[in-house]
Amino acid sequence: MRSDTNEANDKLTACALGFTPYREGLRLQEGLVSARAAGATGDWLLFPDHPPVLTLGRSGRDDSLIADPATLQRLGVERFEVARGGDLTWHGPGQLVAYPIVDLSRRGRDLHRFLRGLERALIRVLEAYRVEGRTVAGRTGVWVEGRKIASIGIAVRRWVSYHGLALNVAPDLRFFDLIHPCGLRGIHMTSLAALMGASAPPLAAVREQVARELADGMGYSGLRWASPGEARDAAGEDAGAEVSSVEPQEPAVNQVRTAGVPR
Amino acid sequence: MAISIKVPQLGESVAEGTVSKWLKAVGEKVRKEEPLVEIQTDKINVEIPSPADGTLSKITVAEGTTVLVGTEIAVLSGADEAVAAPAAGAGSGAKAAATPAAAAMPARGAATATQAPPASAARTQPASGNGAAQAAEEVRGLSPAVRRIMREQNVSMAEIASIAGSGVAGRVTRDDLIEYLERRGAPPPPAPAGAAPASAREAGPRPAFLTASSAPAAAGPREEVVPFNMVRKRIAEHMVHAKHTAAHTHCFDEADLGAIVALRREWGPKLEAQGIKLSYMPFFIKASVLALKEFPWVNGEVKGESLVVKKYYNIGMAVGREEKGLIVPNIKDCDRKNLVQIAAEVNDLAARARADRLRPDDIQGGTFSITNAGVYGATNSSPIINVPEVAILGVHKIMERAVVRDGAIVARPMMHLAIGFDHRVVDGELAVKFLRRVCELLEKPELLWFYA
Repeated sequence: MRSDTNEANDKLTACALGFTPYREGLRLQEGLVSARAAGATGDWLLFPDHPPVLTLGRSGRDDSLIADPATLQRLGVERFEVARGGDLTWHGPGQLVAYPIVDLSRRGRDLHRFLRGLERALIRVLEAYRVEGRTVAGRTGVWVEGRKIASIGIAVRRWVSYHGLALNVAPDLRFFDLIHPCGLRGIHMTSLAALMGASAPPLAAVREQVARELADGMGYSGLRWASPGEARDAAGEDAGAEVSSVEPQEPAVNQVRTAGVPR
Repeated sequence: MAISIKVPQLGESVAEGTVSKWLKAVGEKVRKEEPLVEIQTDKINVEIPSPADGTLSKITVAEGTTVLVGTEIAVLSGADEAVAAPAAGAGSGAKAAATPAAAAMPARGAATATQAPPASAARTQPASGNGAAQAAEEVRGLSPAVRRIMREQNVSMAEIASIAGSGVAGRVTRDDLIEYLERRGAPPPPAPAGAAPASAREAGPRPAFLTASSAPAAAGPREEVVPFNMVRKRIAEHMVHAKHTAAHTHCFDEADLGAIVALRREWGPKLEAQGIKLSYMPFFIKASVLALKEFPWVNGEVKGESLVVKKYYNIGMAVGREEKGLIVPNIKDCDRKNLVQIAAEVNDLAARARADRLRPDDIQGGTFSITNAGVYGATNSSPIINVPEVAILGVHKIMERAVVRDGAIVARPMMHLAIGFDHRVVDGELAVKFLRRVCELLEKPELLWFYA
């Protein structure tokens, strides 16, 4: 049943997925998008920990890639073409990736407003760590002292958003040397670790902060953490055998940062 | 039944979208609600579903092309659904969608356009006895963060009701409230009740001019808040960017337009007969192109720490569109077109600019611009450069003025010309020489024989 006043619908359900191969994350998102559009579940905020991966958005150009295929294979970096906005980017260990599965029909179907909301939430997260983030007109994302700290690329299907944002907490920034991030030449990336050194917060703490700011800034009545199993159920996925061993414990503040991925 | 597929409304501030991927080919059958095309704006890529069952019979906008919201991008034929389908189905915006969610939402567009007083807001309480109960009901819908700010900042429920919410079902979010508080400032002091009527009674009958001055004040608010629309934001950004980057300098000259006035008087009616209106702009464009060829740096663009000198002449002309805002489309390759061709394009561009029918290509790739403040009566101006171009020519009202010719005072049709130039790359000497050459070419059109 679809109901706009339903208490459960007005809460944002967050979920730390733990180690998630990119393909699996994509499948889970697509399942949740269908369920959300059908009114079978509420709004979700997924936090996957991806192994190193390059993803190419719809405005992507092949010449945004600097590294050759052999180098990528040696580094174990997979490459995906996806239906989100934006150009080429990198995801991987040390980066906070968040996928908001949000029904935009209930929010006036205003895409820019949604984007600006995500940017504002990220800026508040940075504020909590005394880092001054700002937006740059025409260059979606969040920037600190001329360097990019967070990227945004959204896809919308049946007015439900998926894909999302990536905030550099403590990734190996050399991965960005493989590409021209977001298709922008001469762009330098930064991270909380690069800016704050030893006092940088752990990824799990930033994850909680991001969930709180998004739930707060976008007017949800509350925030609830769910297990990955619940997310898979909501997405209509089979509670298959593959999940059990890597499934983290609720409320998932103790995530393995690099989950066996060679740095 | 053919259905036109258009770029849907994608949000209040979204003016255009780029077709990022066609998911169906021409001739392919599609089912209602099946994804048809992806459209991207900013960093968001949106799947647009088919409004009906049918066959994709025509794709009018190719992948990678950016078009304005509302532009037709394809045609669906053989759709046997009711004709009512296109509006809602093509996803032409929240307004058209008949989902319960959208219907439950207050009309946000209208409410945000002006800072509506609480009385007119969609969610104002009816003046009934159970107001307190209803207020409590309202509070329940607000997030804890919003309620906290309300307490801290003394925000009343009536004020909350006047805010157009961006949250679920139009609910007021923390961001909405913070935005509102930034606008609000201090609450207005209570009006001194009864003071005005008393003095009016005392005075008895008064002359009309005395009462007239106080009457309009009561008629309505004395200020109106007009939020910037997309175009205005773009103009504002562009102008500030221009002023911050280019080292703006201006100089002025004047020209006797007697010869051009005579030429136009003679040729205007002849061209009119062919359906081409001949204004002065084509002459200004032609003279500018010839002067630019002589002083190529003025036809340049600053890129980093280099000047890129263009060997083609795409001349922009500023078109005022009242509240729709200024736009500067350009005419391509003016050096390869004669005056009549340029005149036809000037008319076409101006008409399409006013009708919002410009294509992205029309406003890109300009190399030099001309602005005519004279059409509104200005006798001089100091125009802002259309960056990254390095100069702009201002032309003005042609006036009969007294000038001295051969020791005698005569009346001549004179016009001031202004050039705004980027002093980083164009020195005063160059700007003055260029402007003088434009004046000479306008004063003595026969020089075209020697230049062209």
